[in-house]
Amino acid sequence: MEFLNHFGGVFEPISFMLLLVGTIGGLILGATPGLSPTMAVALLIPFTFQLAPTQGLILLGAAYTSTVAGGAVSAILLKIPGAPANIATSLDGFEMAKKGEGARALHLSFLSSGVGGIIGVLLLIFLTPLLAKWALAFGPSHLFWLAILGVTVIGSLDSKSFVKGLLSGCIGLWLSMIGYDDIQGAQRFIFSSSLTGGINIIPALIGLFAIPQVLDMFAKGRRNAEIETVQVPKQSIMDSARELGRSGRALSIGTIVGSIIGLIPGVGGQIAGLVAYDQSRKFSKHKKKFGTGHSEGVIAAESANNAMVGPSLVPLLTLSIPGSPTAAVLLGGLLIHGIFPGTDLFDNHPKVAWTFINSMLVGQVLMVIFGIYTATWAARIARAPQPIMAAAVMVLALFGSYSVQQSMSDVYIMLTLGVGMFFLEKFGFSAAPLVLGLILGPIAEANFIQGALISNAQNGPLEYFLTGPLNIFLVVLVIASVGYSFWTNMLEQKETTLEAGAKS
Amino acid sequence: MKTLIKTIAIGLSAFALSSSSLMAEDYPSRPIGVAVSYGAGGATDFQARIVTMVAGNKDILGQPIYIINKPGAGGRVGWNWFASEADKDGYTLSAYNIPHFIAQSIKGGVSYSADSFEPIANWGEDPAVVVVGKDSKFNSMEDLIKFAKENAGKVTTSGAGLFVGHHIAALQIEKACSCKLAYIPTKGGGAAAMKAVIAGDVMAGINNLSDAYRAEKAGNIKILGVADLKRNKEFLPDVPTLKEAGLDVDNSSVNYRGLMVPKGTPQAVIDKLAAQVPLMFKHKRVASKMSAGGSPMNIMTREEVQKMWAAREATLKELLKGL
Amino acid sequence: MTASRIQHLIPAIIVLAVAAIVTWLSFTQQPAQAFLFPRLISVAFIILAFWNFSRAALGQSKVGGGVSAESFINLMPGLVVMSIYAFFAAKWLGFYCASFAAFLTIYSIYDPVPLSSMKDWGKRVFITAVFMAVIYGLFSLLLKVQTPRGLFF
Repeated sequence: MEFLNHFGGVFEPISFMLLLVGTIGGLILGATPGLSPTMAVALLIPFTFQLAPTQGLILLGAAYTSTVAGGAVSAILLKIPGAPANIATSLDGFEMAKKGEGARALHLSFLSSGVGGIIGVLLLIFLTPLLAKWALAFGPSHLFWLAILGVTVIGSLDSKSFVKGLLSGCIGLWLSMIGYDDIQGAQRFIFSSSLTGGINIIPALIGLFAIPQVLDMFAKGRRNAEIETVQVPKQSIMDSARELGRSGRALSIGTIVGSIIGLIPGVGGQIAGLVAYDQSRKFSKHKKKFGTGHSEGVIAAESANNAMVGPSLVPLLTLSIPGSPTAAVLLGGLLIHGIFPGTDLFDNHPKVAWTFINSMLVGQVLMVIFGIYTATWAARIARAPQPIMAAAVMVLALFGSYSVQQSMSDVYIMLTLGVGMFFLEKFGFSAAPLVLGLILGPIAEANFIQGALISNAQNGPLEYFLTGPLNIFLVVLVIASVGYSFWTNMLEQKETTLEAGAKS
Repeated sequence: MKTLIKTIAIGLSAFALSSSSLMAEDYPSRPIGVAVSYGAGGATDFQARIVTMVAGNKDILGQPIYIINKPGAGGRVGWNWFASEADKDGYTLSAYNIPHFIAQSIKGGVSYSADSFEPIANWGEDPAVVVVGKDSKFNSMEDLIKFAKENAGKVTTSGAGLFVGHHIAALQIEKACSCKLAYIPTKGGGAAAMKAVIAGDVMAGINNLSDAYRAEKAGNIKILGVADLKRNKEFLPDVPTLKEAGLDVDNSSVNYRGLMVPKGTPQAVIDKLAAQVPLMFKHKRVASKMSAGGSPMNIMTREEVQKMWAAREATLKELLKGL
Repeated sequence: MTASRIQHLIPAIIVLAVAAIVTWLSFTQQPAQAFLFPRLISVAFIILAFWNFSRAALGQSKVGGGVSAESFINLMPGLVVMSIYAFFAAKWLGFYCASFAAFLTIYSIYDPVPLSSMKDWGKRVFITAVFMAVIYGLFSLLLKVQTPRGLFF
């Protein structure tokens, strides 16, 4: 309960001011296309040079929590996911916004972010020593199986066509291998000089999600441009809160999946949202509604990606190992003040450590308040006339993908992938499994190679990859997941043939 | 309406004229970018952000420096971009890591070599150290080497990648003890390699002194030896060098970090940077933040760096022969 | 053979061709160790691509409506403007200048009001200018992103 003693630190005037600045700034930075939470936090580091350690960390902690939630804003309104964490949010969120329910989607996303986020930070406060062991339990073989488990989700993520879902995943895995390979440094599949740097995930996300949307607006032509503007009744915050209460299942699945996966170094943050989305669809009574603007999809995805924030810091704060790129940047924020995470942090600088953690707790609350306050206003963006919307998303996509590494290659890749995806989508392929392949490919490969190298020095790959309780557990999950997808796919096909038969 | 468009057009072109094609004597007239070939939060990125923080001061450069991260393939992605695409106007600098980029260029498959770049100044040196987990049975370099000699290729040793400082150190150790290690390159830099040691995925690891110092203070690892010519007095006065442990390993694997520009940058710009950048590194606020973070500094001028690059290239060519 | 069946064949053939090239490269390129993982993936890739191709050929591929001729004609001008903008104009003219022009062009092409109305031209230029000001404030002033300057800005 030590954290309660340090709550006062958050409410000192300067600290609270910084907390406000961090939260609001984080929301804006998070909503900016192309700016991932990692980059947003890195941008704020120079400001902390001038501040006392506690104050600097308050700024960074608040910014971290709110950038993750802020990414949902552009994911919902523009279908530009701010970071891999927000991909799943845009699947249903953007459909809701298209139906005119943008405000409702934003309310739900901020409320579920808040709930997930607070539970995540509480886990960090109470269970840290336990969680640290869990985070270290994952060696290369386990991370490999975990990535494969993520890949198996691909088949069920795309409800339209099983084969095309898997095929999209394969295309994603192949795209992830383009460029220099990370370990050997060999060149692979470089067809054009723009590809030497490989395919960066953020420009790819912008291209794959935002550009097909822009092209869809083009395809409607001039005449139809203003037909789709729908009027919807105003959504009050109480309505949204009640709706969240009714969606307890999606909320708890999101929070649990987010906290468990968020903890695993190197994998967590990127796929927590997608896995939670997929799981809550499997357990939902309204499976068919997912992907058509169903609120449970937004709730599961957003509660998961904020629940991961707290646990993802466990390896950093206890073992001094940054488990995610954002944690690595936060580590820098600590180091410039001569504070080393680990036992040193909690023993010698308890005020810094606990104020930081508390600031994330209070930051979550502030984030929900500000988010909801601006949601109604922000949702109007989605109601802008189509030609403006198309032009604006196009320009934002260009600036967003350029600013990631200030590279024109990223812009070319973004547009090429986007145009390709537009045509593929028209034939039943989809972007979500493709992106999942793109994210998981490098993780699976690096751990496969590392595991193979380590196993060569031990008793061979079979024993290394297939023995031990955690390996067996993960392999069983992989088999179960593939089996489930196959089974439901067979059932659905039977249904459609029956329906077709009944009609004729 | 037409006049409005005209006004905007005139305004835009006037703006364009005033902002582009400025001469070297005004340099720098806008913020300067530094490309870092590793991800945000890595040791190079973290140090680059600190050493450039006072660039905006009037007596240094008068313009702020911002960082662009171009990570991938052990730095190859960033340096390839820097050699082939970066503007040669002095507004795009890059951080270098020696021996990484020289070793990669000797190995081939990249579009740069030591001749593609002009060094400006060096800010830090981070020797490679040999580490083991805190519960490891090895308590000294001698223990480790003895085991490695008896069990050829069984000592799994993590490092940040192939043909980076850690790998060079591993190669030198293998050569010196005439034994075989199982070098495991990790993806995700020194942090991932350190995690593998702490979690017990590997038996030993080679890592940066700065990261290892921190991990040792957190009580997670033991540091067995430093791959440098002399002990590090500031951070690890009690850890012997590999030479003291009986291994003929010099300082070839020491990770030097500094700033460079692409070849073809105007000489006047290079001269200005070479004069001002060391002042920036020597700034007392930079020094205090670097030492707080456990990052050893070694400020070298352009001439000294040129000599160091040439010397490294010769030793690395010798070492990597036949690999 | 219906039009939709032919349309579904085109992407299936392209994907199959890509899979074949990827598989061929994975098994022929050196160093072999760097292509270990690509080999694994490419085998799955080509099997799935072939499965998808046979479904399309047999007319079982029904998901996705394809692209109608009308949408394609509607789409083309926007796609051309966007490609010129991203692949060429942004770097040549400078980011802000090209973005201004591209935004205005797209807006004008797809604006349902007739292009002869001078008042609407004013409105479009105004909205474009406001949007570009926001972009400038966000990316250049706040985030300090240095965009290519090109001929103008």
